[in-house]
Amino acid sequence: MLEVKELYAGYGLSEVLVGTSLTVEAGAVVALIGANGAGKTTTMRAISGMIAPSRGEVLLDGQPVQGLPASKIARLGLAHSPEGRKVFAPLSVEDNLLLGAFRHLPRFFGFRKAGAADLAHVYDLFPRLAERRGQLAGTLSGGEQQMLAIGRALMARPKVMLLDEPSMGLAPVIVQEVFRTIRRLKAEGMTMLLVEQFAQAALEVADHAFVMERGRIAVHGTPADLRRDERVVAAYLG
Amino acid sequence: MPVSFIVQMAVSGALMGLVYALVAYGFQLTYATSKSLNFGQGELVMVSAFATLSIMGTGLPYPLVVLLGLLFGALLGLAVERTGVRLALEQKSEGWILLTIIIGLFLFSFAENVWGRDDRPFPTPISSQPLNILGIDVTPVELSVAVGVLAVMLLVEAFKRTTLLGKAFEAVSADRDASELMGISATRTVMLSYALSGAVAALAGILVSPITTVGPTMASALVLKAFSVAVVAGLESGFGVVVVGLFLGALESLASFYVGSGWRDAPGLVLLILALAVRPTGVFGKAVIRKV
Ligand SMILES: Nc1ncnc2c1ncn2[C@@H]1O[C@H](COP(=O)(O)OP(=O)(O)O)[C@@H](O)[C@H]1O
Ligand SMILES: [Mg+2]
Repeated sequence: MLEVKELYAGYGLSEVLVGTSLTVEAGAVVALIGANGAGKTTTMRAISGMIAPSRGEVLLDGQPVQGLPASKIARLGLAHSPEGRKVFAPLSVEDNLLLGAFRHLPRFFGFRKAGAADLAHVYDLFPRLAERRGQLAGTLSGGEQQMLAIGRALMARPKVMLLDEPSMGLAPVIVQEVFRTIRRLKAEGMTMLLVEQFAQAALEVADHAFVMERGRIAVHGTPADLRRDERVVAAYLG
Repeated sequence: MPVSFIVQMAVSGALMGLVYALVAYGFQLTYATSKSLNFGQGELVMVSAFATLSIMGTGLPYPLVVLLGLLFGALLGLAVERTGVRLALEQKSEGWILLTIIIGLFLFSFAENVWGRDDRPFPTPISSQPLNILGIDVTPVELSVAVGVLAVMLLVEAFKRTTLLGKAFEAVSADRDASELMGISATRTVMLSYALSGAVAALAGILVSPITTVGPTMASALVLKAFSVAVVAGLESGFGVVVVGLFLGALESLASFYVGSGWRDAPGLVLLILALAVRPTGVFGKAVIRKV
């Protein structure tokens, strides 16, 4: 579903990704773990087109998308819930969600009706968002903003979803809720690439995991494989 | 001096002030999506007015002439975005300031060469016979300014609030990167805002010209006032520019009568200086407009 081949990307003159490769099979949850600054966020940005890769390939459903503008890649079915959530603070919760479905809703009128089923699904997943549908997104708590960011990505009915540190800065109970949601989405068949600092928890939901070190993949395998790898255990699972 | 006369002066002035508000609204439209604005907006008003005058010369019916004039303004707005703004924004530079000023200078000499330096009358089928409303004389032409300005601003605000594309407009102004991730093209949204801003400028020209006549010099006078209004009202509140525009227009009219016609431009300048000194973010900041 998503294939990254030998990707190089960075910011200005500093190259961060130096030949990153990874694969996400349809219906799988894939974890991307690694130390702070390893390049996980940069990988996601290069995949979704927020930064243009200088070399390498990104295949979405077999189609090369590297170098396309982010909005084009999103319309092709890739949803990226970015690090730091980036909800539209001055817009209401419901407007945030409807904008998530921009790629398949009518641009002028009738978009509420056309998006009703997707909205119902997200509200079922996150009843808290339903309660706060009219509230401005900027007034939500961190946990609620994270639910909104995930819900907004879901609204696109994406082929692949990228989640960048959905548990960052959240209280332990909320972190558990986030992981429950990820499990439920997995059960519904959603294909996901998940970046997490809680490597243990990420490995529990993942079918496959990639460990990133200094801009490239150092090790990858099933969670069971990685748990047997002494070096990985010492560095990330200890 | 009868009070009704003072009211009369204030009302005529305030109606003119709505034109400043409309030009200032054009600044707000592009500022919202791109944090940039066209310093040649006054020249856009003027050139669009001249172009509309030329289109009128072909004898087409007036509503169609207005429509074509607005279309001309929108295209001009797109041209400004493409030539003066887009590359600068992509490089995250402030180059658009200088570039839009230069485009304005270019349009000014273009207008002088094509249409001449003289002021020209701008015919309109709307009557200039004053109507007496509550003891105040108002001409239908003046009323058309008020109706046109308020109607187009309400229309654009309704677009922003009720259509998905309008919400996308707001999303781009809130967070450009996140909007792109939703499939919203920020570039196209900025283009749309420049097109709208150009059409708004053209409308300002079409509305004001029957009263003031058309000439190359109308650009600088208008843009300065609009700038004062935008700075005082802030670059976010559409409601704010209307209030400040009405106020400035009335003040100008009274100043030119009581102090002398040479002082007509003084209130705008004083307001601009005061605003920049006291409240650089505008009197109608976000907090105020949320309550309104
Ligand atoms: N916007 C940026 N501009 C310049 N360098 C950046 C930027 N964002 C991240 N970096 C650098 O890129 C490297 C990888 O960062 P990142 O991809 O955010 O790592 P991770 O998500 O794995 O913590 C770091 O060295 C970081 O300093
Ligand atoms: Mg990161």
